Amino acid sequence: MNEAARADSNDMHTTQHRLAYAIVLTLGLVWIYLSADKNAASLTGTTAAPQVGFLAPDFSLPTASGETIRLSDLRGQAVLVNLWATWCPPCRAEMPAIEKVYNEYKEEGLVVLAVNMTYQDTASAVMPFAQEHGLTFPILLDESAIVGRAYQLRSLPSSFFITREGIVNEVVIGGPMSEALLRTRVEEILK
Amino acid sequence: MIESFRAIFAPPRDLILLAATLWIGLALAEKRSERHGVSKEALNNLVFYSLFGYLLGGRILFALANFSAFADSPLNIFSLNVDLFDPIGGVITAILVGVVYIKKTSQVSQTREVYWKTLDALTPIFAALAIGLHLSHLAAGRAFGSPTALPWGIDLWNATRHPTQIYELIVALVIFGVIWFRNSELSLGALFLNFVALTAGARLFLEAFRGDSTLIFGGFRLAQIAAWTVLMIVFIAGEQIQKD
Repeated sequence: MNEAARADSNDMHTTQHRLAYAIVLTLGLVWIYLSADKNAASLTGTTAAPQVGFLAPDFSLPTASGETIRLSDLRGQAVLVNLWATWCPPCRAEMPAIEKVYNEYKEEGLVVLAVNMTYQDTASAVMPFAQEHGLTFPILLDESAIVGRAYQLRSLPSSFFITREGIVNEVVIGGPMSEALLRTRVEEILK
Repeated sequence: MIESFRAIFAPPRDLILLAATLWIGLALAEKRSERHGVSKEALNNLVFYSLFGYLLGGRILFALANFSAFADSPLNIFSLNVDLFDPIGGVITAILVGVVYIKKTSQVSQTREVYWKTLDALTPIFAALAIGLHLSHLAAGRAFGSPTALPWGIDLWNATRHPTQIYELIVALVIFGVIWFRNSELSLGALFLNFVALTAGARLFLEAFRGDSTLIFGGFRLAQIAAWTVLMIVFIAGEQIQKD
């Protein structure tokens, strides 16, 4: 093949490539337009699920001191729901940090609900543990796995940071959570 | 089966999937690195330093961005909490570390060529990591789909949804296959650009089925616009490479 023919062939390839690129990009734009969620129908804030962006599943449980707390009654306050058990070492290890951060932020509207997974724990061990660690936030007793099921518990501890609007803002599975992690997440939900 | 998988690799165990695919990707990339003119040792060093940069940069940038949270407990910067991490900051640091490493270890006149060679050599790692990322999303229930009535929908987060994690996993496996089997036929930098173009194209298409898209004006999905822009940049870069 001579020089001129080779140059022509290269030009043709370049033109074909450019045409293919233009077609792909145009189809891309059409797809972006067609798949736009104009009514924001995919937004998740109205469905309850234990995942970031969803409405936090509601529950009502008795506390260790006998009163009943319903999550939805706390709308307007930032809530940390911590699922734990007395036999779980990381759960025990993170409680002092939760207590410290709770005391730092409770005046700003932070509520901590420490939900004991009583259906897989010993109820009589809960209060001595809370007293031993000087925990001042409410300890809820989940004797029938209501929260365990609603929050699809897979690992202990599991922590759900819920905004004042009741939306799950962050989920931390496993622990122990450090004070810095707690503060960053709590400051987010207090905004 | 999906439920069992999700139970076994529930967070934070889903990170095992990312670590495993990184390891597999590195092993495969090593096999092909000489073909791209990059020694196994150089590839390993680059991955090691970049990974170190990713971990260190991600933690330091997170601490800087949340300085007040660390002020009372500065030792928490050494905490084992994986959530104390800025992934974007980590990636930027890893890229910077990689760029500096290549610059330090190559001759000035060949630096540009070495960048492309290295990116080609690293492509199997990126493709394997993409598989790991989608497996991790499936395990954690992240990157979930929008509700659907289609028979292959999966029950997730209290709705029957498009199994977007599985769509993305299948596409990532196909992309891996494409780049692995086309490896020897392409010019300098083309393997990497092919991977980026295919990945951006896949994201552009599959984002439409996601239920967690960030929406901007008019309900347009931000990730699709980003993917379209990446695709355009790759096409321009591809043209440039052909000219050179």
